[in-house]
Amino acid sequence: MMQNLIIYLAVGSLVGYLLSKLNKHIGPIVLFALSIYSMFVLWNFPTDTMEGLFGFEDVLRFSAMSKYFSILSLIVFASFAFFNISWISKAKNPHAFNALSIITLLGTLGVFFSSNLIALYIFWEIAVLGSLFIVPMGKEESKKATIWYIVISSIGTYMFLYGVFMLYSRYGTFDIFEIAQNLPNESIGFKWAVLVLLLGAGIAKSGVFPLHTWLRNVHGNAPDTFSAVLSGQLVKMGSYILALVLTVFPVSVMFSEFYNGVNILSYVLIWLGNISILIGTLMAIKQNDMKMLIAYSTVANGGYILIGLATLDKVGYAGGLFHIINHALAATMIFLSFAAVVYRTGTTKIDELGGLIHRMPITFVTYLVGIISLAGIPPTSGFISKWMVFQSLVSRGMFVTEMFVFVGSIGSFLYVFRPLAGVFLGQLKSKHKDVKEAPIFMTIPMIILVGLTVLWGIFPQQVLIWITDIQKEFGMEPFEFEGTKLMTSMGYWDTWTVFVMFAVGFIIAAIIYILMPKGKKIPLEDQYTSGEFLHNYDLYHYASKFYAFFEREYEGHPSFEELYLSFVNVLKAIGKGIDYLARRTASAYLFWAAIVLALILWVRW
Amino acid sequence: MMTAVRVAQVLLTAFFFGLTFEGIGRKVTARIQKRYGPPWYQNFIDVLKTLTKHGWTHGWIFDFGVLMALGGVIATLSFVPLGKLVAFPGLDNFFVIVYLFTVGALGMAMGMVGTGNPWASIGVARALTLMLGYEVPYLIVITSLLYFYKTSNISTIITAQGDGWNLFKFPIGALVAFISLQGMLGKEPFEAPIAPAEIASGPMVELSAKYMGLLMLMNTFMEFVEISLFVDFFLGGGTYFVFLLKYLIVWILAVMISAVLPRFRIEQAVAFYWTVPILLAFLQAFIVVLNQH
Amino acid sequence: MSKIDERSVWEKIADQLRSRSMWMLHYCTGCGAVELPPSMTSRFDMERLGMGPMATPRQADIFLITGYLSAKTLRRVIYTYEKMADPKYVIGFGSCTINGGIYYDSYSTINRLDYYIPVDLYIAGCMPRPEAILNAFNQLMEMIRKGEANGWKRYKENYEWYKQNQLRSLGEVIVHDEFHE
Repeated sequence: MMQNLIIYLAVGSLVGYLLSKLNKHIGPIVLFALSIYSMFVLWNFPTDTMEGLFGFEDVLRFSAMSKYFSILSLIVFASFAFFNISWISKAKNPHAFNALSIITLLGTLGVFFSSNLIALYIFWEIAVLGSLFIVPMGKEESKKATIWYIVISSIGTYMFLYGVFMLYSRYGTFDIFEIAQNLPNESIGFKWAVLVLLLGAGIAKSGVFPLHTWLRNVHGNAPDTFSAVLSGQLVKMGSYILALVLTVFPVSVMFSEFYNGVNILSYVLIWLGNISILIGTLMAIKQNDMKMLIAYSTVANGGYILIGLATLDKVGYAGGLFHIINHALAATMIFLSFAAVVYRTGTTKIDELGGLIHRMPITFVTYLVGIISLAGIPPTSGFISKWMVFQSLVSRGMFVTEMFVFVGSIGSFLYVFRPLAGVFLGQLKSKHKDVKEAPIFMTIPMIILVGLTVLWGIFPQQVLIWITDIQKEFGMEPFEFEGTKLMTSMGYWDTWTVFVMFAVGFIIAAIIYILMPKGKKIPLEDQYTSGEFLHNYDLYHYASKFYAFFEREYEGHPSFEELYLSFVNVLKAIGKGIDYLARRTASAYLFWAAIVLALILWVRW
Repeated sequence: MMTAVRVAQVLLTAFFFGLTFEGIGRKVTARIQKRYGPPWYQNFIDVLKTLTKHGWTHGWIFDFGVLMALGGVIATLSFVPLGKLVAFPGLDNFFVIVYLFTVGALGMAMGMVGTGNPWASIGVARALTLMLGYEVPYLIVITSLLYFYKTSNISTIITAQGDGWNLFKFPIGALVAFISLQGMLGKEPFEAPIAPAEIASGPMVELSAKYMGLLMLMNTFMEFVEISLFVDFFLGGGTYFVFLLKYLIVWILAVMISAVLPRFRIEQAVAFYWTVPILLAFLQAFIVVLNQH
Repeated sequence: MSKIDERSVWEKIADQLRSRSMWMLHYCTGCGAVELPPSMTSRFDMERLGMGPMATPRQADIFLITGYLSAKTLRRVIYTYEKMADPKYVIGFGSCTINGGIYYDSYSTINRLDYYIPVDLYIAGCMPRPEAILNAFNQLMEMIRKGEANGWKRYKENYEWYKQNQLRSLGEVIVHDEFHE
């Protein structure tokens, strides 16, 4: 069945390419149909089945983790496809765009299905190559961004491959679960080496420190709707590797305990997550381009997910997994709303936009619910995962990590508020006075995602069932919940009660509001201007250097992007040096030929 | 049914005593400045007067933001235990309260910036930056308390203080929490977000009539939640009137400090919060962890 | 005039509330501005009456015109007055607002404020002392309770007359865009 799905996707990519030559809009319809069909098939598919692929036995395995990750990827891809039905009219190479996105979907589903390390590597590469060729179809700067993507992705992938072959040379098998049974008996150096190499792929792909510098350029400059897939789904492939490696290989058994029940490898990972949160949050506050801002937020959330997964206890691990789906939905919503804004106005810079709520209200509501979920505010689902991660950290007494997590959480209010105030609220620029709401094909998926986030915030049972299945499969104690009540050893709360009280509070406020005299509606230009008469309200808008007073505090910060670029400069300098020695003139050739000949003669005798 | 009665009790307490104590605070400020000050019921008259004026609205996001602000704070208030009076026993989880609180703040920020006036945006940017300052030491101190008592349930911590207030068991933590409280209340020296003459009241610049009244109510309820949390965590809660007495003492202390200090610039405030209070908070956390082992 | 003076029961209750909590706009023109700090501070404490300064016109109830008004300032005063929320009260301080005061023959100041925006109460003097100011505030509170402080209703009823006066004296109330003409 899984093999059939993979074949359908491969064929669908070709079919989509050919059909989109007829009419651009048919291509995304093919992708949408394929993702809905896959979601339908996978929803009821029994977990823990093994299958073969193209004659190789027992290569694919549908575990509970596969189900969870596949369904969330398919939600993201379905929204992406439906949105594209309208958006594709502004894409640069619509046929290739469509075909390559289906190939990316094929690769990611393959990664989630494989239980054999080499199959995982092959599907991983398919997904990376698929997305690699879509990224340069964005703005001008996206061509340079692609180089960042391929280099850092390769670093992760080749670390992974090296680790896989180390294991193969030791055990002679590629199967993950067989290796997991034998691994605890090895030497500590071997264990560290293998795990670091395998986790390197996850770290590179999910954008965690120190391999986080590519996110800003790639997600910021990629074609607008594809940023939603990159940020909402492809980084989750990295999180999948992290979640898989940390549970399949019994990490808590293999390494000694370091702090309050957390083993040393997890502790190192938690610190990487901490630094990612700090870097992501502080850099996001500075950005003027709205897509790059949310790209940095992906770095911070990748850190959150890593911290949640690395705690490896029943609450924290569940929190990390829940955060994966929350961030996927929120990032998709936010990037799709940005795509709608760019579709209508043509710019992504915050200080060139403003007041768009008066022209694009549905896009605004999508962005609003997206940021409410990202910042972790009830009653959306984002709060549940943050609550779980907090509880787990507090119960372990990890105070320094808590400080970083709180800074990330509160800092996220700062940076998500910036596009809200700069792009959607405030004064409407006069050149945008005729902007219309996004077309219907774009608003429908946005509304559905909004509904899904709020639904899972009030009734998280479905997601929690998926997560507890994963925990039970790996022998971890499952997270406890009863209906809408979420329980941990340190306290519990009820999502339904919180929502009801919120509604009651709103009704009380509305009653006072309705009883009192109505306010007269005044236009946007009627403002308090300290008595001055303004004629150009475009400039009466606070959007550039929004947090200048705060940014001054960390102005001279070290930048990893510049560090990596300096490595590039070193390589270029070495290249120039060799270029100097290897000039293409007759005398140079003669010189080097003589030296090489002399060397050969000297070595022979 | 009983729950509804308790919720009504909590809300009415916050309304009456919150506004009364604000009036008493104004009298205290006046006496410090050697004048008489308004009567203690002045804030009731202020709120009711604003509700009767005929104002303007700037669009649906403004209306919705104000409603979300007041609604969110009312929802938060219904979960906060006032000493022994708990509307939802067992469900007063600390993190839920902190995050529900942000619903109100976000609603207010959204509604205020939705008027289209950049003064509001500046005020909100300052308020959010200040939040980054005061929340971090506060949360570290409170989570060290949660770790010590092994629960995030506030009522449990109140009952566990039967043998001595946390003020005496964790004095450094109480000091840090009080400094953060001064920032949360938006009182001098951390009054940069409102700063009446500097940025034309910041977020409240375009509020008129009933919107101003609703926001004043929201401010009162927010103060009530913040100080109630401090009294619950460090002064042992207590029965109804004992709780209100402790609340009054903390409130008057905050008012007296705000009456004599000027205002920090926003970056000075954040830089201050990130040096002294955070170090003290970590010191407190370190002491708690040492005690456990 | 009788229609303006009618008040429903709610208005009567509301006027009792409004008289006890008046917020003045923190904007004082001319030389009378120096008399306000003494009224606000310890000796002649204004806050006892429930009055206090407010930063924006949206929330203010009372507008104090404390002295002479040049044409340039009058334009901003009218603009700000129209931004205030109903009900609003205007108090004219000093003789410049009543009959031009010592600048009665200047080419750029106005002689009588009542022609341009409705004034509820004048305070005579050049400048009135804080005792006189507090007396005036007390009288304004009495007028509000009796329903006599109807400047805002008069402005709405006689809007054309006020606008005509404003345009005749000032040419234009809202200054046109001089930089881009």
